[in-house]
Amino acid sequence: MDQPSPPRIFTPRSAEAPPEQVVGVQLWLRRNLFYSPGSTVFTLLALTFTAMIVWSFVDWAFVKAVWVADSRKECQLTSPGGACWAAIIEWRKGIVYGRYPVEHLWRVNLTFGCLALWLWPMAVPRLAALRPYVLVTTVLLFPFFALPFLSGGARGLVGQAGFALSLMGLVALWSAALAALWPRSGAGRRAAWVLGEGRRIALPLGFVLAFAISWQLALPHVSTNLWGGLFLTLVIAGVGISAALPGGVLLELARRSQMPLIRYTAIVFIEVFRSVPLITVLFMAVTLMPLFLPVSWQLDKLMQAIIGICLFSSAYMAENVRAGLQALPRGQYEAAEALGLGYWQTMGFIILPQGLRLMIPNIVGAFIDMLRDTTLVSIIGLYDFLLMLRAIGHDHTWLGLYVEPLVFGGLVFFVLCYAMSRASARLERKLSRRWDKGGGA
Amino acid sequence: MTTDTDGKMIDVRDMCKWYGGFHALKHISFTVERGDRVVICGASGSGKSTLLRCLNGIEKHQRGSIRICGITLTDKPADINAILGRVGMVFQDFNLFPHLTVLENCTLALIEVQGLPRAEANELAMVQLSRVRIDDQADKYPGQLSGGQQQRVAIARALCLKPEVMLFDEPTSALDPEMVSEVLDVITDLAADGMTMVVLTHEMGFARQAANRVIYMDGGEIVEEADPDSLFDAPQVDRTRAFLSHILLHD
Repeated sequence: MDQPSPPRIFTPRSAEAPPEQVVGVQLWLRRNLFYSPGSTVFTLLALTFTAMIVWSFVDWAFVKAVWVADSRKECQLTSPGGACWAAIIEWRKGIVYGRYPVEHLWRVNLTFGCLALWLWPMAVPRLAALRPYVLVTTVLLFPFFALPFLSGGARGLVGQAGFALSLMGLVALWSAALAALWPRSGAGRRAAWVLGEGRRIALPLGFVLAFAISWQLALPHVSTNLWGGLFLTLVIAGVGISAALPGGVLLELARRSQMPLIRYTAIVFIEVFRSVPLITVLFMAVTLMPLFLPVSWQLDKLMQAIIGICLFSSAYMAENVRAGLQALPRGQYEAAEALGLGYWQTMGFIILPQGLRLMIPNIVGAFIDMLRDTTLVSIIGLYDFLLMLRAIGHDHTWLGLYVEPLVFGGLVFFVLCYAMSRASARLERKLSRRWDKGGGA
Repeated sequence: MTTDTDGKMIDVRDMCKWYGGFHALKHISFTVERGDRVVICGASGSGKSTLLRCLNGIEKHQRGSIRICGITLTDKPADINAILGRVGMVFQDFNLFPHLTVLENCTLALIEVQGLPRAEANELAMVQLSRVRIDDQADKYPGQLSGGQQQRVAIARALCLKPEVMLFDEPTSALDPEMVSEVLDVITDLAADGMTMVVLTHEMGFARQAANRVIYMDGGEIVEEADPDSLFDAPQVDRTRAFLSHILLHD
């Protein structure tokens, strides 16, 4: 022990290639599916079972399916074991628009087309700077734009001004997009002028013009009890989703407030709505809300359902927001305080941007839940997507045809929900790449 | 700014703080003159961090008085805001904002609190970033920097607001050993420039080189206060001696 051990000296080595990797389909199969006699038997059984199910579905849905027929009877006569898609094709307008008058369907299409125009800058990477503006105007202004088209009829001064403002918002958004994408072109330069030095002239002129357009736009009223189908489902889910996040953030901030009155109001609100099923909230919205409101304020059933869903989803969202905010270390608040940032500045610049990012999976999960939950409105008699699908089976030419519409509905819901979940995963990856590892961006 | 400071940047008198029934700070009194570099040391739980947090109003004291730059620290938000502008704080865990770039970390308060235009704020921030020798990383996110670099950014962020006093809460405790010196060098430079500062640290070499006064705290009270050489070489109190023998052995 007393003898010092002789020093050991290491010469530097250059990096070597990793040992030859044995990869390939065969190896993967052997490692994962056929690694023992038992696993081989189980794999074969499972494969057979899956193949049987898939084949019988394909057989029913495609091979033996009937695409053109006039009634369920005709379907059954042509191909007894096949799906009768002819019903869905014949009912396509009802499934998408409900009982909305056929000669006015362009109004719905135009509204959704404009929504796409409105949201389009979100998808363009070069217009990233416009995104907050897009989101805020979509939530605040787009409803004023959509209502005169979808519902029509007379509207008050507020409605007129709101429509004018929303038109200007859309024009301003597109001018900004043009100016950012093609700054050299004539259109881009004119757009930049409208937003820049021409603002003083363009703004009042634009408002007068937009107001005049709004005044001229008088479409016949389409009562909301004629709204239906996928269109109604998207309206309800869209409003619920856009209201849930701001509502949830406000509720959660209220719950964290130092002021007892605000805090306890928020706690009671959140706890009540979270402990009651949505179906109860919907019934209460339809039956109880009219009792509390003055007679002149009577809202139609759709409005009541939307309010109920907004309140319900805000309360749930508040819980998600809470999880995100609690995950942030205390030091972020202290650093903000030490820099002299006030409450709203700390929340707006430091806490919410980080908290919301942590919550993306939960938030999108809540959105997906909300989209699926909207099917409950059929219970209070709104003809949403699901109820329209079930109505096919009540139609005397297609009497008893329930399976095909429901399979079709399931497919549509799957596509919508899966798209949302992919989008959220992409957003999450992008943000984490930028903040954590910092590659790119 | 305010003139009735008599050169006293920090004047704490008979200050007490309780957490519930626990007496965390017991009758603390000390002063920091303009240009002083004070090192506070003490075991964890000795109350030194709490003391530092009381000095910029993050924690509230319950008895006695704290005057910073002539302003008495009370519960009134106006007072706390007035003090926050003059006191810069650097945290053990850096507490940079991970979703903002280095430059945005520095300019946020300049733009949002002081209302400077962005260009001017950027210019000011770059001056402070080059002062801590990290201006070449201005466009990176904190997650891309090493611990030592992050702490230097945190120092620059605090300096941007042109504080009259800098408070450092164990600025090197969360760092890997090889990064300690780059941060201490920056703080030493600041001290040489005449910045008034209070530093919580166990780095004795730094304390001897940069500080002109050392305070030893234990059990929520000040045990001993002296210039670095006399406190480290000839402590007067047994408790100080015991503490020093622990950390000197460790060094």
